[in-house]
Amino acid sequence: VHFLDRRVLLISGKGGVGRTTVTVALARAAARAGKRTLVCEIANPEGGPSAIGRLLGARSIGPEPAPIERNLDACHLWARTGHQGFLQSVLPSRTLVRAALRSKAVSKFLTAAPSFHEMGIFHHLLSLLQAEEGGRLRHELVVLDMPATGHTLALTGLPDILLRLMPGGPIAALLEAGQAILNDPEQGAAWVVTLPEQLPVTEAIELLAGLEETRMPAGGVLLNRMPSDPFTADERAAVEGWLDGTDGVFGEVAFRRIEAADEALARLHAAVSTPVLVLPEVPGLDPAAGLVDAFDAHMTGEGEP
Amino acid sequence: VSDAAIGATGGAVARMLVEKRVVVCCGAGGVGKTTVSASLALAAARAGRRVLVVTIDPSKRLAETLGVQRNAPAPVSLPADRLAAAGVTEGTLSAWMLDPKLVSDRVVNTFARTPEEAERLLDNRMYRDITSMIAGMQEYTAVEALHGFVEDGLYDLVILDTPPSRDALRFLDAPDRVSMFLDRRIFNLFMPGEGSIIRRMATQLVEKVMDVAFGEQTRRDLQQFLELFGGVLDHLNRNQHEMRAFFAQPDIGFLLVTSPAREALAEAEFFARKTRDELKMHLCGYVLNRSLAAQAGFAMPDAEALPEDADPALRTGLSRLAGLARVERSQVAGHLALAAELDIRAGDGFAWVLPMLGTGASTLSDLVHLADVLVADDPPGTAPPTEEPS
Repeated sequence: VHFLDRRVLLISGKGGVGRTTVTVALARAAARAGKRTLVCEIANPEGGPSAIGRLLGARSIGPEPAPIERNLDACHLWARTGHQGFLQSVLPSRTLVRAALRSKAVSKFLTAAPSFHEMGIFHHLLSLLQAEEGGRLRHELVVLDMPATGHTLALTGLPDILLRLMPGGPIAALLEAGQAILNDPEQGAAWVVTLPEQLPVTEAIELLAGLEETRMPAGGVLLNRMPSDPFTADERAAVEGWLDGTDGVFGEVAFRRIEAADEALARLHAAVSTPVLVLPEVPGLDPAAGLVDAFDAHMTGEGEP
Repeated sequence: VSDAAIGATGGAVARMLVEKRVVVCCGAGGVGKTTVSASLALAAARAGRRVLVVTIDPSKRLAETLGVQRNAPAPVSLPADRLAAAGVTEGTLSAWMLDPKLVSDRVVNTFARTPEEAERLLDNRMYRDITSMIAGMQEYTAVEALHGFVEDGLYDLVILDTPPSRDALRFLDAPDRVSMFLDRRIFNLFMPGEGSIIRRMATQLVEKVMDVAFGEQTRRDLQQFLELFGGVLDHLNRNQHEMRAFFAQPDIGFLLVTSPAREALAEAEFFARKTRDELKMHLCGYVLNRSLAAQAGFAMPDAEALPEDADPALRTGLSRLAGLARVERSQVAGHLALAAELDIRAGDGFAWVLPMLGTGASTLSDLVHLADVLVADDPPGTAPPTEEPS
C-alpha cells in the first residue's frame, strides 16, 4: 500500500524538527495527487493562532474545514466542537443538549476534567473522518499535525486508558469506532518527523517504540533536512584529514554535519523496521514548497516495501 | 550587556551563578536546554557552590554523564573522581530526574486528610491512570519538588530544566487560568451535597449528563476520586499563591535558552513576555545555543594555497568545502546580528552565545567546555577587538 493510501496520518515529532512544515508539505503533495485532503492541527488555545494557517497563507483557521487550494482543506481540532457533537449524540432530548451546552458547569467540567479535553478532540477528529458530502467521503485523507509536547502519545494512547476506566456506554462506543479506523494498519498510520542528528534520531526511535505500545500502526520516519553531500568518497577522506590538522576555518561545521547525518541515517535504518523517507534540506524562505516536490518524488518513485 | 567592571570574576553568567539561589531554564524543545542546564550547574560547582540540577528528560548519554536514573527517589551526587576530572574542587554537583508520579504521590501522602485517605487515593484506579493527564500536573510537581529542595538547604543553587512546552509556566499563571480541574469551585459541582438551589441544579445537570454519557458507575468512581483528592487539591490551590511569591524573589532567576531557529526564537519571546512582563519575575537573560557567532574571524578554506603536489582529491574537496564555507560565513553575520538583538531585548540582562558542539554534546568534557564559555568575561564572538588603535 502506498504511504498516502490511508484515511488518516498522524504526524508527530519533537519541537524544532520541522514537523508542521512537513505536515503541510505532505498534505499538499497528497492534494496535488488528486486526493481530497484535510490538514489539521490541535488548536491551542481554541481560536488561537495557527501554525498550519501561517504556512498555507490562510488568514484564520477554525473548527470547520475551509478550502485552501484545489483538493486541500484545513481546520483546527477543537475539544469544544467534539464535546458538542458527543452530547448531541448521547443525550436523549434536544432540551437537555441545549441545557448542557448552555451550562457553564458542564462546559467547564468537559474542559477541565482529566483526559476529557483529549476525548473532545478525538470526537472531532472522528466526525471529520466520517463526514460525507454528496454521497461520498468529504475527505479521503486527513493529515494531523500532532502536538510537540510530552503528550504526543496522549491522543493515541487515550482510547485504551479510557476504555479501562469505562468499558461500556457511549464513550466506549465512540472510542472503539475511532480505534477501528486509527488502529487499522490499512486506514491509519503515525509518522515520526525527525532530523538526521544524534539526539533527534534517538528520540524518534523511542517515539516509534512508544507508538507500538498504543497500538497505533507506525507508518515510518520522515527524516527532514537531510544535508546534500557534494563530496566524493576520496574528497571526503582528504578533507577530513585536512580539517583534523586545521583550526578555525569556515565550512567545518557543515562538513561534520554531513558526516553526522550519514551516521544518523545508518543508525535509523539499523534500529527501525518501518520505512524511512529522506527529505532533503530545502534552502529559502518557503521550505514547505520545496518539500512538496520531495514528497512528489517519493510518491511517484516508491511505494512501501 | 557586558559589564567591564566584572573583570576577573567573569561575566554576567558567572555573576548569576554565584548570586542566585534558583535558576529556571525555559525554552522550546530541541534547543539543547538540558545540556545548557547541566553546563551551568557544572560551572557553578566549579565556582565552589553546592549545586543541584533538576532535569525532566535528559538524553541517555547526558543522563549517564550526570549519573541520574529514572525513578530515583533522591538526587544523586556526581562521584568525587568525576568532579575532580571536571575541575570541581570545593563545590558539589548533584542531579535528579524529575519523576512526576513520585512527587505527586509524595504530595498525596503529605496533604491527604488522613493516612488512610492517602492510601485509598494512591490505590484508586482513577488516580493512577488520570493524574498524569491533568494539564499542568507535571509542571506543578516540578515546582513542588524545586521548592522542597530549596527549603531543604542542602544546596546553594538549584537549576531547573523545565519541560519543553508553553505549559511549563502555567502553574504560575493567574489561578483561574491554571488547569481548571484544580479549581475548587468547578470541582465542587461534581460533589453531591448541599449548597444553593442553583448549585444543586447545576450538580444534578452534571450528574445527569455524566450518567448518560459515561454510565452511573464511572460517575460514582469519579466522584469518589474527587472526594479523596479534595484535601490534596486544597493544598495545591493554597500553594499556588505562595509559589508565585516564591518565584518573584530577586534571587530566583529565569533564563531563556534558544537556538538561532525562528521557531525557537518565537518560543523564547513567549517566555520572555510571560516571565518578565506578566508574572514580574526576574529575567537573567538569553543563552543563544548552537550559534555560529563564535566563528567570527575564521578563515576560508583555500584550495589555491595548497602546495602544488597536493592530493588532487584534497584540491577538489577544498573547493567544494569553500562552497559550504561561504554559506556558513554568511550565517555567522546573521547569528552575530541576532546575538546583538537579543542583547538589546535582554535589557539589564545578558545575551550569551554558546558554540555549536554537535548535537550530541553530552560528555563530561563537552559540559566542561560549555561551562568555560559560560563563565568567560564576555560571550564568544562579541568581545571587543583587541588590536584597536588607541
